[in-house]
Amino acid sequence: MLYYLTKRLGLSAAVIGLVVLVLFSLLHLIPGDPATIALGPRATPEAIARYAEKMHLDEPVWRQFLIYIGNALTGDLGLDVFSNRPVTAIIMERIGFTLALVCAGMGWAMLLGIPLGCLAAVKPGSWLDRVTGVLSVGTIAVPSFLVSIWALLIFAVQLRWLPAIGAGEPGQLGDQLSHLVLPAFAIGLSWVGYLARMVRASMLEVMGENYIRSARAFGLHPQRVIFGYALRVAILPTITLIGMGFGGMISSTVFAEIIFARPGIGKLIFDAVMARNFPIVQGAVLVATGLYILVVLFSDILIAWFDPRVRESL
Amino acid sequence: MPKDATRAPETLLDIRNLSVDFRTPRGRVKALRDISFPIRRNRIVGIVGESGSGKSTVLWALLGLLAKNAEVTSGEVLFEDRDLLHASEAQLRATRGEEISVVFQDPMTSQIPVLTYGTQMRDILYRRPGLPTAEKRRMAVEMLGKVGIPDPDKRIDQYPHHFSGGMRQRAGIAMALLTGPQLLLADEPTTALDVTMEAQIIHLLQDLQKELDATVVVVSHNLGLIAELCDDVVVMYAGEVIEAGEVREIFHNAQHPYTRALLECDPARIDDVSRKLPVIPGDIPDLTKARSGCIYAPRCQRALPVCRDTFPPDVARGEMSLARCHLLAGPHHDPSWPPPLDVMTVGTGEAGARKPARVKRDDPLLDVSDLNVQFETVGPLRARLKGIRTRHVDAVLDVSLSIAPGETVGLVGESGSGKTTLGRTVLNLVPAQSGSVRFEGQEIRNMPEARFKPMRRDMAMMFQDPVGSLSPRKSVRALITEPFQIHGITGIDLDDEAERLAEMVRLPKAFLSRYPHELSGGQARRVGVARALALNPKLLIADEPTAGLDVSVQGEILNLMADLQAEHGLGYLIITHNLPVVRHIADRLAIMYLGRIVEEGRTDEVFARPVHPYTQALVEGVPQPDPDRRRAHVSISGEVPSLLNRPKGCDFAGRCPFAQDLCRAQKPPHVTMADGRQHACHFPLGH
Ligand SMILES: Nc1ncnc2c1ncn2[C@@H]1O[C@H](COP(=O)(O)OP(=O)(O)O)[C@@H](O)[C@H]1O
Ligand code: SF4
Ligand code: SF4
Ligand SMILES: [Mg+2]
Repeated sequence: MLYYLTKRLGLSAAVIGLVVLVLFSLLHLIPGDPATIALGPRATPEAIARYAEKMHLDEPVWRQFLIYIGNALTGDLGLDVFSNRPVTAIIMERIGFTLALVCAGMGWAMLLGIPLGCLAAVKPGSWLDRVTGVLSVGTIAVPSFLVSIWALLIFAVQLRWLPAIGAGEPGQLGDQLSHLVLPAFAIGLSWVGYLARMVRASMLEVMGENYIRSARAFGLHPQRVIFGYALRVAILPTITLIGMGFGGMISSTVFAEIIFARPGIGKLIFDAVMARNFPIVQGAVLVATGLYILVVLFSDILIAWFDPRVRESL
Repeated sequence: MPKDATRAPETLLDIRNLSVDFRTPRGRVKALRDISFPIRRNRIVGIVGESGSGKSTVLWALLGLLAKNAEVTSGEVLFEDRDLLHASEAQLRATRGEEISVVFQDPMTSQIPVLTYGTQMRDILYRRPGLPTAEKRRMAVEMLGKVGIPDPDKRIDQYPHHFSGGMRQRAGIAMALLTGPQLLLADEPTTALDVTMEAQIIHLLQDLQKELDATVVVVSHNLGLIAELCDDVVVMYAGEVIEAGEVREIFHNAQHPYTRALLECDPARIDDVSRKLPVIPGDIPDLTKARSGCIYAPRCQRALPVCRDTFPPDVARGEMSLARCHLLAGPHHDPSWPPPLDVMTVGTGEAGARKPARVKRDDPLLDVSDLNVQFETVGPLRARLKGIRTRHVDAVLDVSLSIAPGETVGLVGESGSGKTTLGRTVLNLVPAQSGSVRFEGQEIRNMPEARFKPMRRDMAMMFQDPVGSLSPRKSVRALITEPFQIHGITGIDLDDEAERLAEMVRLPKAFLSRYPHELSGGQARRVGVARALALNPKLLIADEPTAGLDVSVQGEILNLMADLQAEHGLGYLIITHNLPVVRHIADRLAIMYLGRIVEEGRTDEVFARPVHPYTQALVEGVPQPDPDRRRAHVSISGEVPSLLNRPKGCDFAGRCPFAQDLCRAQKPPHVTMADGRQHACHFPLGH
């Protein structure tokens, strides 16, 4: 376990270091003065000078890199170019919205996709299986930004069932939840398809295993056989998929947050890129990467918890 | 209320006119064809037959757990007056695991890896809601103890992968017996196990059957196991019951030509080491075809013209024995059939006794001396973090062995004894830490691949699982000429070579365009031989060349290998745990235990007078296909220790009945006796 954690932490640090390096090189590889690039062509000379000093632009590049890492480790991701507020604070204000969106999106996809895949596998060829099959392909094929736009037009504009934009009044849980429904629906939809397919495939494989036949030969109740035995094994590859899916989901939030005008990391990065607000881009990408690494680590731990063979090899 | 008054009261399960089809793309496989037999209470009944004869299908049919493409087309299975074939799913579920339970063939795959034995066993007891969980656990612990699991109250919380193969099968038996079923079904319960473990499981089943007053049905293709364990025997062939009777009648006075042939093919029964093994020619018939006449006629040595178009009668002998053959009754009755047991009724495939190959002893082909192979078990970082001091295990320890041209050396030992590693090291596939491997006098140990490559042509390996190791998308023609391509040999006509090789291994030319899944076990094995011999090697290393083959086919492969050896002067290293087989084909035997060779000598001498206690245990561990020669006790208990905790003294000390203090303190050195036999034991038997 200790060995495993050491290895994982080392690996995570390496990934984050690499991401910072890439972000840094991007800034420095673009020809021209980094401060001008970072602040945009309309920045005043004073602003540029201030920025250059703040970012230690007079130091050699490798020192700048180390300084940035050192600051990042203490939670200092620099200052927003325009408002001069700490990047960390700006990100913290928005990260909750993105997390809520991703969790809600993945959550409903899991609640629907896993049982669907499971039931489809138990009765292959049944109407439920066929419907699931068609549904999976359909939902996977449609890009999530299209789903966002349609959902917005249908449920918010036409039917007026749900609010169209924003994240709801702060402090009012009901309002915030109702604002969450459409974007979560939009980013989770294709995951219903992915998960149903994945679970179906691995369930089909596991249902053919000898130990499932043993469980049935011992007269266990079908429910116990399907959910207590088969799903317990079949879920393992799905957990890995979900963990990695979080990464993809963070990128789909960009569209959802723009279309639904929700505050969040995705929109933040988008706006910052458009405005060439590099400290924000760097900080937000870094945080998103960190989150992703955490989720993958968590999914690996979950697998170890489900599978004693994995647990012992840690 | 009994459905049929003629049913004897001692009948627990009555199978009547059962027919099962499997729907497949090739057509309907008629896997069971109108079979009927009763199972008597408190008996151990063996169902024996070649693979594909429908043995497992019988078991699954009576549990109602046939594959989805199966269809029961007729019959009934009466279990205490209930017809299991027409019971509802809920009724069946109440019967399964509770009144009828199962021990499975492969304990490695039939127990769920992610649940502890405690959970699995508690699940089996779910039909007793009144029983407190603690009580269920107590019952499970008690049953695990009863089947011989040490420390059951601790081990119950472990997972299947913590158990060795033998322990898993014991746990499997405990799970099956937990509810106190009346009927226990066991499908090939020892096939996946080593000889010594097999003997232990046979005895365990026997003891438990007596103790629990259960009725047991054992399915097996192993005649020795059936003879040793069973009271009644049912012989199946191609989906039919062709003979049934008490075990002595079957083994001493078999009536059906097929039963006779099976018995004659079993190498364990043949004392004369003539080296040519008898075989039943041909293959099991295509089960999609309807039978006309006797289903065994295409392979029967005694077939009469009438056999091909008229169904043979079921001829009853005693109250429950019968055999289905024209020779036994009716107009074609032959009073001289069956002949006495020592008269052979089947041939040896090819005419004549095996020509002994010329063995050139003084000029060995392969000479291995003091070879050591270590495997790293943990990485350096992990070892440091976990405080593990020894990072290596010795998979092969001080092994010396030589093989002369034309000679066959058998390498024998339980699984995990390092046999395969030794074979792979000789082929330079595994690096060795020290010692030497000489091939035709040249040192090849750890030779760089570029220099070794030309020599690879002279040394071939035949793999354990020929179908699994063959690429499924290549035709037989492509497969057997693949070695030419691997070695970049040009200037030959591949089609000619393919035909030459097919002829050499007696594979009809039509098979060249088939694919691996269209081959029977024996045919696939012949493709394996052809591939191995494609480049005219001088040494062939065969890893379990007959594992998984039926006795009737096994002989064919071994005879073929013997002929090829006589013709080409090949040296063979046969890696196996099947003692009856090596006894017939090997000139010398090396017995391996935990990476060391503990005894080595001429095969006949080793079998006649084993010197090392382990050898003796192995030799005595083979179940004899004769119900009058049942063993009263298990010759060896316990199991092979893990390489990770190799005992300090003699590796075998923990299981050896003769172990003394010296054995536990000091590793016995290799000693060569006057007659050239070698052993590693402080107290050799008979000395
Ligand atoms: N699920 C299945 N689909 C098609 N054929 C099958 C299936 N299961 C078994 N068979 C066929 O039924 C016959 C009997 O098989 P089986 O009962 O497994 O024999 P045994 O246990 O004696 O080896 C074989 O020809 C086998 O190929
Ligand atoms: S009926 Fe004929 S073919 Fe069948 S076993 Fe008897 S003799 Fe052989
Ligand atoms: S050395 Fe001792 S323990 Fe080892 S086999 Fe010989 S008698 Fe048994
Ligand atoms: Mg079988």
